[in-house]
Amino acid sequence: MYVAIRDDFPILQRRVHGHQLVYLDNAATTQKPQVVIDAMSDYYTQSNANVHRSVHTLAGEATDGYESCRTRLKSWFNAERAIITSGTTEAINLVAHAWGRANLVQGDAIVLTEMEHHSDIVPWQMLAEERGVEVRYVPVLDDFTLDMDVYGASLDGAKLVCVVHTSNVLGVRNPVEDIIRLAHESGAKVLIDAAQGVPHDRIDFDAFGADFMAFSAHKMCGPTGIGALLVRPEIFEEMQPFMGGGDMIETVTTEGSTYQTNEHKFEAGTPRIAEAIGWDAAFGWMEALDLEHEHKRLLEIARYTARELRSLGMTVYGRHDDADSAVVSFLHPTLHSEDMAHLLDAVGFAVRTGHHCAQPLLNRLGISSTVRASFYLYNTMEEAEAFISQVKTILERFA
Amino acid sequence: MTYPAQLLELIEEFQDVESQMERLEMVFEMADEVVVLPVETWSDTTRILGCQSEAHVNVSLDEGKVLMAGGADAQLVQGLMGILTIAINGSAPAQALLLSPEFAQEMGILNSLSPSRSNGFRNMFDKVMLEIRKLEV
Repeated sequence: MYVAIRDDFPILQRRVHGHQLVYLDNAATTQKPQVVIDAMSDYYTQSNANVHRSVHTLAGEATDGYESCRTRLKSWFNAERAIITSGTTEAINLVAHAWGRANLVQGDAIVLTEMEHHSDIVPWQMLAEERGVEVRYVPVLDDFTLDMDVYGASLDGAKLVCVVHTSNVLGVRNPVEDIIRLAHESGAKVLIDAAQGVPHDRIDFDAFGADFMAFSAHKMCGPTGIGALLVRPEIFEEMQPFMGGGDMIETVTTEGSTYQTNEHKFEAGTPRIAEAIGWDAAFGWMEALDLEHEHKRLLEIARYTARELRSLGMTVYGRHDDADSAVVSFLHPTLHSEDMAHLLDAVGFAVRTGHHCAQPLLNRLGISSTVRASFYLYNTMEEAEAFISQVKTILERFA
Repeated sequence: MTYPAQLLELIEEFQDVESQMERLEMVFEMADEVVVLPVETWSDTTRILGCQSEAHVNVSLDEGKVLMAGGADAQLVQGLMGILTIAINGSAPAQALLLSPEFAQEMGILNSLSPSRSNGFRNMFDKVMLEIRKLEV
């Protein structure tokens, strides 16, 4: 099975500094199967045209290709409204502008957590500064989970809760169902940053209950530069257009404009057509996989890696419970994370280092960076074993 | 680009090495070339922004010649600093300013020289050059 999966990814044949590539930077972006590359290439070689405008054959094919991605998003996630964005960051910013500006006023509160990616902090800080809105942060406990007592208390007077589904640093999957239920009981809306969640967990958005859910294609074998915002239909009606321009209007006169009533209202300008077609192909490719089985397999690899790294004297930040993602963040007591990453790259291993765009979380942990190895569908236990072996060699030589 | 003789020699030495791991080991060894900037003098003024590691440099003139001192908590960053030390310390500021950062790629040490938050070398190089320009004024 894994041989078949790996065969679909041409980049895995690549050598780096003379060594076979072992790609363990999947929480940053995943690799693309050949079907995605082919779908995008076919669009540019056979059907390139703008969408929603012209009546010619190519324009029809482009429009069908683009809208097919939206149809797929709605069926994959069981959602009624799917706005196509440039990624998770734009999706969250869209909520801040299109819903936040229309609904949040001075004295209101937004609840975030210390575990958020910068994409789910900075837009709210900007809005808070503009509107005089209070931002509250739910602390992270020593076991890498959220302090749910503080969360419950922080809901008083809150209009919006924004929480990361799965931490990009810790791999911890938060109790988002409880978070949504408690928020709704106190009258707050909920946005879930699911960038690290949807690659591992096929979420039923309708049953899930969140008001907004943001995620990106490139973390689930799709292209970069495209993502989506799922919105509950009644909230969708409350959202005001954010960016003005072509495609989002119904009529424009010199006196004023009227807007589309569907998702196009929030997709001004020429959209990401090739990327949508590529993402649709990625969903098609993933449809054939047993994601639950793959999740369990990858978690076993992550658990093995974490255990071995601990035995080598590393501090591992994460717990790897059943629903967590296969992310292993670690630090050696003396060898700097940046040195470790360069040395691993020298023998073909791609990992991430730094603050992972989650500085408040790293501040809470009392560190400024980690090395992060993150596993995805094409990774194998053999690669994890080779990774540990290389880490041992590096420590013997450089630590 | 013509490089100072001492840097040219170093570039050739690095190019002769086939293994990237060995090349990085050589960079690590270059850390000893850095004129130490005592940790207690590290400040926001000396900090190299955009480095993943804590890295600091101070550039001054010693009898009209460039004197760069620095330090970093990552061995690789300090090693790159050591190479830059060999390239510019003791040069006239105008001469030092002629240096372009491509030498790090020619040595096979870095994959990219594009300015970015992860490119500690590029951020260090740009800061050092900026400090030298200030000294020239």
